[in-house]
Amino acid sequence: MTSFHRSRQRLTLALTAVSSLVIAACDKITPNSTLTPHSEFGRAIDGLWRETLVLGTIVFVLVELALIFVIFRFRRRDGSAQPKHVHGNTTLEITWTLIPAVILAFIAVPTVRTIFETQAKAKSSALQVEVIGHQWWWEFRYPQYGVVTANELYLPVGRTASFALKTQDVLHSFWIPELAGKRDLITNRTNYLWFTPESSYVWNGFCAEYCGDSHGYMHFRVFTVAPAQFDAWIASQKSPPAFGGGGAGPAGGAETATARPTLPLHAVPSTPTPAGLAVATASGDAARGADLYKRSMCIACHAVQGVSAGNIGPNLTHVGSRTTIAGSIYPNDAHHLMLWIKNAPLMKPGSIMPALGAGQFDRKTGMTVAAGGLTDQQIADLAAYLLALK
Amino acid sequence: MATTVAPPRHAPAPPKYERGVWSWLATVDHKKIGQLYLYSALGFFLIGGIEALIIRAQLYGPDGRLVSAETYNMLFTMHGTTMIFMVVMPLSAAFFNYLVPLQVGARDVAFPRLNAFSYWVFISGSLFMNVSWFIHAAPNGGWFGYAPLTTRAYSPGVNIDFWLIGLQILGVSSLAAGFNFIVTIVNMRAPGMHLMRMPIFTWAAFITQFLIVLAFPIITVAVTFLMLDRFFGTNFYTVAAGADPLLWQHLFWLFGHPEVYILILPAFGLVSEVLPTFSRKPLFGYPVMVYSIILIAFLGFGVWAHHMFAVGMGPIADSIFSITTMLIAIPTGVKIFNWLGTMWGGSLRFTTAMLFAIGLVGLFTIGGISGIMHSSVPADLQQTDSYFIVAHFHYVLFGGSMMGLFAGIYYYFPKITGRMLSEELGKAHFWITFVGMNLTFFPMHFLGLHGMPRRISSYNANQGWDLDNHIATIGAFILAFGTLFFVVNMIRSRRSGAIAGNDPWGAPSIEWSLPSPPPDYNYATLPQITSRYPLWDRKAPHLTAEVPHSARGDKQSTIRVAGSAVATAEYGTDLQDDLAVVSFPSAHELGIPMPTPTIKPLLASLGLSVAFSGLIYREKELELIAKMQPATHHVSIAIMLLGGAIFVTALYNWLLTPLEPEH
Repeated sequence: MTSFHRSRQRLTLALTAVSSLVIAACDKITPNSTLTPHSEFGRAIDGLWRETLVLGTIVFVLVELALIFVIFRFRRRDGSAQPKHVHGNTTLEITWTLIPAVILAFIAVPTVRTIFETQAKAKSSALQVEVIGHQWWWEFRYPQYGVVTANELYLPVGRTASFALKTQDVLHSFWIPELAGKRDLITNRTNYLWFTPESSYVWNGFCAEYCGDSHGYMHFRVFTVAPAQFDAWIASQKSPPAFGGGGAGPAGGAETATARPTLPLHAVPSTPTPAGLAVATASGDAARGADLYKRSMCIACHAVQGVSAGNIGPNLTHVGSRTTIAGSIYPNDAHHLMLWIKNAPLMKPGSIMPALGAGQFDRKTGMTVAAGGLTDQQIADLAAYLLALK
Repeated sequence: MATTVAPPRHAPAPPKYERGVWSWLATVDHKKIGQLYLYSALGFFLIGGIEALIIRAQLYGPDGRLVSAETYNMLFTMHGTTMIFMVVMPLSAAFFNYLVPLQVGARDVAFPRLNAFSYWVFISGSLFMNVSWFIHAAPNGGWFGYAPLTTRAYSPGVNIDFWLIGLQILGVSSLAAGFNFIVTIVNMRAPGMHLMRMPIFTWAAFITQFLIVLAFPIITVAVTFLMLDRFFGTNFYTVAAGADPLLWQHLFWLFGHPEVYILILPAFGLVSEVLPTFSRKPLFGYPVMVYSIILIAFLGFGVWAHHMFAVGMGPIADSIFSITTMLIAIPTGVKIFNWLGTMWGGSLRFTTAMLFAIGLVGLFTIGGISGIMHSSVPADLQQTDSYFIVAHFHYVLFGGSMMGLFAGIYYYFPKITGRMLSEELGKAHFWITFVGMNLTFFPMHFLGLHGMPRRISSYNANQGWDLDNHIATIGAFILAFGTLFFVVNMIRSRRSGAIAGNDPWGAPSIEWSLPSPPPDYNYATLPQITSRYPLWDRKAPHLTAEVPHSARGDKQSTIRVAGSAVATAEYGTDLQDDLAVVSFPSAHELGIPMPTPTIKPLLASLGLSVAFSGLIYREKELELIAKMQPATHHVSIAIMLLGGAIFVTALYNWLLTPLEPEH
């Protein structure tokens, strides 16, 4: 008896191991799947999905089998007799009205239950995150910690994260397929969503409500990490930027210095850069860049703690610690940063950040940047500075 | 088993009223207007299809760069708007126009000139919206045009102006036609045609018109608010002034969901005509089919917020709309089962029309089942705005509406033109379309479940979406290839198809008692209707003996039609003189007063478009003034006044001209 139980336990364990392996393998092929949920909200949804899938498949198979049967059984052959003119059958018709009603009741009850469960108020101990949508990037604020960041969200595993969703301009929708269902960001309203991440990984997030030119380029990343790691991240984000304005860092600083997480393939953006856009200078000087930043028009829109307080574009205080830029569509390295600074509207359709490189044509304003624009060397210096802002 | 009528001795000459360009521009004949709708809508079907092909080519692989994001956004907006307002609705309108008067035994619609006006307004609205392509300013806010993106603050160009003005114009057309058909069906049914004896397509048309006249005013209001915001500085949707963007969403979907049924019910009606004919059996459960149409239409007004489950309406609203959405599945399911019941025990003949009709039954089922999946709110939070939804509504709109409309085209083409469409080309069209459509749309279910959002102009590599996108794109091109067979078939068969005769299919309803194409006056003497299947009663009374024939106020009388008796292809009795098809007496000889052709409805619609063009030009002027470039205020206002003058003059003249010549 006991041994039977034990063996069954082992079997269950083995099966779980196998299935989690399969899920891991699936993750590689379909990294944004809604079918492999990693939060209680995701699993609640998945339960309903599986139920509707099973019932729907049964109905589908029965209807299509009946159709195929009818097609073959009642095809007209030579000498087929005139069919009897049947006009209906009340019993039959009542039956096939009632059966779907019963099936739907089986879907409706758990649906309503899940609606109320998942839309209840989040636990008061939850991590509070404010999500603010912008055309076309994401601002994330952690009011409990006084941290503001962009396009990259850190969440501790095992702690409920409660999101307050707002938008600065048009409608957006906050969607991390592997973690939760989506919730829209509605102008002049605040929406709420909560879930508890269950495993650590890096997930892709998307804007799921059409929001204009670069709707397709409004992504973000979610890093679900161990609580200790999360605390460390919060600490680093709260501290002033690591860059002291001292030594000259190499432009390719991304690969050196602090350890950035190694990203799985799906989290590395593959967006091609526009043909014909290039920066001649290979390396920049971070100190010169820091100096330039303070004097440039960057400060009108961007914040760097202790340096500037612009709030139109993403907060750049720790931009060097992020893995991606521009709504997670380009990797955060010197090459992409330089191209971005030189001509953002060419890098991202409709970009609100103007082209800054001297002589660049800004497709958004339809004007060419005059002599006051940045030289390639200045651009390289700025990029070096930004990458040094860990 | 070829069962067409023996070829007549002479090909039928086109009737006199069908010759020359002028006869088309000035026509008030519902049959010609129906054909205008048919061919215009098929033209837009090709345009919308090309837009879809560009979209699919762009998405074939990751990081597609065939078109820019801006162009892509115009393409998907116009693809949706075109397919809904310029293809499926006018194709349905083609059948309303052509069939409703024939099926109810009338000589024309109640208001023939208003009918012409509807068509010309439809074509000017459609052309108006598409002209925007030539200045690369096509609408780019999505077919749903969510505020505040479509407000001036976020969409300053003329793109959205083209969309909302075009939509306003198209709405005028639908509303005018809607009232026209309601009056026609209520007032102009032949003696003996009780409501429960109406052909099922006419029922579908009837209910659809109610949906139109109740739903279109809502979108008109929504769009008028937006127009006032954009042109006159009101604040219905101005978020900076505190507007609630959900106002637009509620108004839009309160129209938008009934619109879904406006798109599908006519196709259901056509399929309900085709299946009984080729099963040689009456429609199974006719009363239930009628009630389910009415119930679907009624419930269709109570489910709109299921398009908005992600906007955060709260658990109570979510639950209510979830349950109403599930309820609407019941009458829809009943229709599927009753179609199966119609075919069960029948003697099925697989013409192209029948294949498309069966295609609807099989494919719409898939769209219906995925629809139930989104009715479960939490599950929908994963599905909404993902490719899963794209898959769902293409199964409904292509697998449902288009399949049904194709069935209708293959079925009624012989009546409309007097010639048969080629069955060989038709079957090639069906099978390639069937394969192409499933290859295109089925993988989209997986794309959505694997996290691909809708309306994105490109996607990164390594997201797990490459293979399904490859398949979908290949499928789309197969679909396009299948459509070529259809185009060739239409063009060739119109000229040289086999002669159809009155009743090539052995159909039960009275339009098949008329010559093909019917004379301009349709029925020389009004038919007397004694049952739901008058032609079957006449051709095979022994079979229909068990049909419930309520004789409420009826005198048993035969159906008499000018110049020809009933053609009976399948029943082998009573074959008429084929020559009757060639020469039937003119309306004048029979002393039937016919409405005079007139160009005034066309002119009135032209005036409408000119006036609205002035509004667009006004935008251009303001833009120039803002940029301090030379511009004048007067040109746009002059254009608007000119358009208004044309409209008023045409309308005034129209009202003063009697409908029929003095007699």
